[in-house]
Amino acid sequence: MRFLLVDRILELSPLQLVRGIKHITRDDHYLCNDEQGTLCFIPSFIGEAIGQLAAWNVMLCNDFRLRPVAGVVSSACLHRPAYIGDTLLIEAVIDDVDDVAVRYHGVASVGDEVVFSIESALGPLLPMTEFIAIDEVRRQFSEINRPGAWPPVASAGELLQNGNEPLPYLLVFDRIIASDPGVSLCAEKRINRAASYFPDHFPHKPVLPMTVLLECKLNLAREFLARAQFSQHYQVSELRKIKMNEFIYPGDLVVTTVQVKRHDADELILSFRSEVEGKRVCVLDVVMTAKGN
Amino acid sequence: MNVESVYPKVREIIADVLVIDEDEVSLNSRLIADLGAESIDFLDLVFQLEKEFAIKIPRGQLEKNARGDLAEDQFEKGGVLTVDGMKALKNYLSEIPADQFKANMKVNEIPMLFTVETFCKLIVAAVSEKNARDTVV
Repeated sequence: MRFLLVDRILELSPLQLVRGIKHITRDDHYLCNDEQGTLCFIPSFIGEAIGQLAAWNVMLCNDFRLRPVAGVVSSACLHRPAYIGDTLLIEAVIDDVDDVAVRYHGVASVGDEVVFSIESALGPLLPMTEFIAIDEVRRQFSEINRPGAWPPVASAGELLQNGNEPLPYLLVFDRIIASDPGVSLCAEKRINRAASYFPDHFPHKPVLPMTVLLECKLNLAREFLARAQFSQHYQVSELRKIKMNEFIYPGDLVVTTVQVKRHDADELILSFRSEVEGKRVCVLDVVMTAKGN
Repeated sequence: MNVESVYPKVREIIADVLVIDEDEVSLNSRLIADLGAESIDFLDLVFQLEKEFAIKIPRGQLEKNARGDLAEDQFEKGGVLTVDGMKALKNYLSEIPADQFKANMKVNEIPMLFTVETFCKLIVAAVSEKNARDTVV
């Protein structure tokens, strides 16, 4: 399955702005269930689509010599899931770029409604050929670079239901290795080369997409909540202070610890730290707000 | 503004960026050797400092500051610091103990020397340059 999440680039102002779309249909592989059990596009992958769109702009402007990789994201807000039948209108704004790193922010909307936003993402730029052949990435760009207008806000007509819904794609840790309900949780995930995102991420150097790890952590946050049995119900609203320090490779064993950073009636902040062989590879805070607030 | 006045905020930001307790950070802590900073942490740190102090720290500014008036080929040859380059570096990084400057040091090893105080000094210089520019304008 492809891990190229932008269907079409509609507008590109070099090193300034890029707009594109992603249709969410039953052809999508990366679907999961929302809290009500309805199929939706994997939420972290909306952020991935914004990041990929920003990357197309930067890569075009450096003649595909360098590519951004995941680094630091100050804040990513999940406003609502995006469902089958939705078209994501994606926009990324390049705030700053040089030969070392790019800083951007972006937003994904369905019609006029923002569903996901990223504030201040910082991505180091690394030599393209470490990851993929330059001709190949050029070809991928030319396939999707078809300037045009934004699509209409919403299509009229009822979405067909044929009774054969696609199966959800599970992005989860393999096992819980320690649990202190309501206090901490520790889980591990073995990184399998057979995972469907590796061929595109990347052909010359398969590394775990940061957004795959983020989605696993969101699901681990739900596991934490289920075990904690808090009287208040919480829902994820924001991923904050995300940082990917090191690449994670197939064959690695990722150990992630979750701890409560802050907990009151309105808000629960969980702090995540992932390590490979005892070395920090990724940290972030997951901010959850009390339902009904 | 001086090193002492910016230190508490710089310390807080460094602890936040490196996901460590503030107690672990002191003025003479080396970012890489003592605090475990990596390249992505430096990018993050510079961005957070720029945001906090409303300044711009161009990439490689610390090395440029260390070079001072020396031309690039007077400062380093083939990636290794010259005698004059080493002298300029020691002069600029006056907070670093002399025994940490090893012979035939490479330019890309300079960040190994950086301490919390190095960044405090960088902030003080950048803020005062900005203030000077603003005054002229």
